[in-house]
Amino acid sequence: MLDFRTQGYNGYSVKYSPFFDSRIAVASSANFGLVGNGRLYILGLTANGIVAEKWFDTQDSLFDTAWSESHENQILAASGDGSIKLFDIALNEFPIQSWQEHAREVFSVHWNLVAKDTFLSSSWDGTIKIWNPTHPTSLTTLPTHSCTYSAQFSPHAPTVLSAVTSDSHLRIFDLRTPASASNHLTLSIPIHTPPKARPGHAPPVGIPPSEALTHDWNKYRDSVLATAGVDRLIRTFDIRAPGAGPIAVLPGHEYAVRKISWSPHLSDILLSASYDMTCRVWTDGSAMGHGKEDGNMMQQDPMVFGGGREMGRMGRHTEFVTGVDWCLFGAEGWCASCGWDEKVMVWDVRAIMGP
Amino acid sequence: MANQTGRGLQAQERLSQVSDHLKASKADIPRGRDALLEKHPDDIVVTCALRTAITKGGKGGFKDTQAADLLHGAFTSLISRSGIDPSLIEDIAVGTVLAPGGGATEFRAAALAAGFPVTSAVKSLNRQCSSGLQACVDIANAIKTGMIDIGIGAGVESMSTQYGPQAVTEFSHLLESHAEAANCKVPMGVLSEKMAKSKKIPRADQDAFAANSFQKAVEAQKKGLFDEEIAPLTVKYTDPKTDEEKTITVSRDDGVRQGITAESLGKIRPAFAKDGSIHAGNASQISDGAAAVLLMKRSTALRLKQPIIGKFVQASVVGVPPLLMGVGPAAAIPVALKKTGLDKDDVDIYEINEAFASQCLYCINELGLDINKVNPKGGAIAFGHPLGCTGARQVSTLLTELRRTGKRVGVTSMCIGTGMGMAAVWVSE
Repeated sequence: MLDFRTQGYNGYSVKYSPFFDSRIAVASSANFGLVGNGRLYILGLTANGIVAEKWFDTQDSLFDTAWSESHENQILAASGDGSIKLFDIALNEFPIQSWQEHAREVFSVHWNLVAKDTFLSSSWDGTIKIWNPTHPTSLTTLPTHSCTYSAQFSPHAPTVLSAVTSDSHLRIFDLRTPASASNHLTLSIPIHTPPKARPGHAPPVGIPPSEALTHDWNKYRDSVLATAGVDRLIRTFDIRAPGAGPIAVLPGHEYAVRKISWSPHLSDILLSASYDMTCRVWTDGSAMGHGKEDGNMMQQDPMVFGGGREMGRMGRHTEFVTGVDWCLFGAEGWCASCGWDEKVMVWDVRAIMGP
Repeated sequence: MANQTGRGLQAQERLSQVSDHLKASKADIPRGRDALLEKHPDDIVVTCALRTAITKGGKGGFKDTQAADLLHGAFTSLISRSGIDPSLIEDIAVGTVLAPGGGATEFRAAALAAGFPVTSAVKSLNRQCSSGLQACVDIANAIKTGMIDIGIGAGVESMSTQYGPQAVTEFSHLLESHAEAANCKVPMGVLSEKMAKSKKIPRADQDAFAANSFQKAVEAQKKGLFDEEIAPLTVKYTDPKTDEEKTITVSRDDGVRQGITAESLGKIRPAFAKDGSIHAGNASQISDGAAAVLLMKRSTALRLKQPIIGKFVQASVVGVPPLLMGVGPAAAIPVALKKTGLDKDDVDIYEINEAFASQCLYCINELGLDINKVNPKGGAIAFGHPLGCTGARQVSTLLTELRRTGKRVGVTSMCIGTGMGMAAVWVSE
């Protein structure tokens, strides 16, 4: 396990470069992101541990970052003042572009993995905006009407994007649909819907809505997404059956889940970061040989659904863990996490996995 | 850019956002008292709960009344009081302990005689002293799973007519040769005496607890606190002195005695051991009585315009060693509370059956309950413990008292012969 101290800055998001296996970016904020400056770290993994290759300071807190998919030196930062900044790590100090349209804190930025010429942002102001890096204004604004903590393009289709919001809904937009009154919205799934009743099991209890803080598209199954948030549960949904409720429910985190990320290597594995100061690795029970329901139907926890389970946890952080990301390269299992303890840790998931 | 004041406000908002993330997680969303008090259409609610009076076994007003007739009385009162169309009742569960054959035949007959059509099913069940509660829980669960929409949980016992040695079958050699199995037939009094001794519950404490039960019941009777839950029943009664058969209306628990104090109880000779501590005054009375609880989903109750008086939330059942059967509530209550996410202090009233003062007192102390919250109108020591009836009886006793005092959350619980405990959480509305 390698670590790096972002002294004076509390981590909010960590992302591996899609171009280099030794480069990591961390969006961080002074004073826990409540007030003060932000700093975007560009870290290099070297034989001598993690070193800061460069950093960019910003006027307001930074809550998220995303590498450009088309240019290996460019990277986005989501700022608390509502601006989105594009930095070039070959240059110093100042962003090469800044967009100021959001009325409130920007909580997520995400580059289109398929088309590579657009990116999106989501904000506390209740909107998602689609941008082109060469264009001075946003291309499209999609309203969600509630604080949107996380938005992403589908990794499988260039015009499909998703968002989770504080109103406990997972929304899917498709930009190919006409921009009628629905603003490209094609699906809106209430995340708190209990799983469908199964024969032989007590009917699931109703759960009140709660803020959804994070979500991620499965990298292999193009209709599967995972969501998580304040109610501490990780759920997976299949958007082909939006009314069916979650296909897996993974309880275990003791506090809100701040970030989840599907493995780029295995279709059933995901990683989570939580306010309970742990990162946990899970299987959603969809892979063969994993998480089969016990024959006696006596599951330990009635909330468990779908046969998934926790496979291991990393408890080295000493404050809220806010970001986690998988390394795309090399041996499958390497990942990076960051948190309010000013620590960035790079570690191997396989080292914490139980039998 | 925002000025300093704007910054301060923004920081405040960001802080409250993060604390909201944590607050909601801490509150354990689907659980806890607040969640319990929420109303949902699929709640299992009680729209009527009543009981007959409880009378002394062999001497009281019901001494010549068969169990099925008591049950018939509870059923007819339930139908008239709730105004429910009897043909809507899909199933009736009746808890009873002593009836030969479980009472299955005569209870079905009693339901038909009471005005339920042939389409209303009836079963009897026996989980010893918790049979009445088990009946309510069975019906609630059947409604929850969608097997039925409306049902009645009931309990009845005529200890006058059915109490006696024939209630237990001879143990086979196989059972006798297994130590824990053989313990199942040790008489309640004997094992409770042993338990009182091993758990060190002094006789003085037991007598004080028992006297308090009598005093609370006397007070409650004076104030008429039982009037709402008791359905008066007119029965035949043979006067033991004149052998004259009379028709009387029983609307009062006749086991409640005035003027009982710890001192007066202190003079009674122990019943089960010479140096023992348990006697007729600090154990539950042998009694007759019946009780019935009408259960359905909230959505059904609203559709039928039935008055909702309470809600069934959760039940638990646990096993304990047969010789320590009295600790049952101490084992079952924490399980029921854990399942509902309640703390013991979130509960406003505990109805814990007073099988013996010793075991009830032990459970209260073991759980660290506030004794003022336990059995506020007295318990089985004061007005009796008709075995199969008690569990259903506690529901009406609890819900009327919660409503009268403006409180919300209650627990009913009892120990169970052969070593078990059962508990259920109820909410008054």
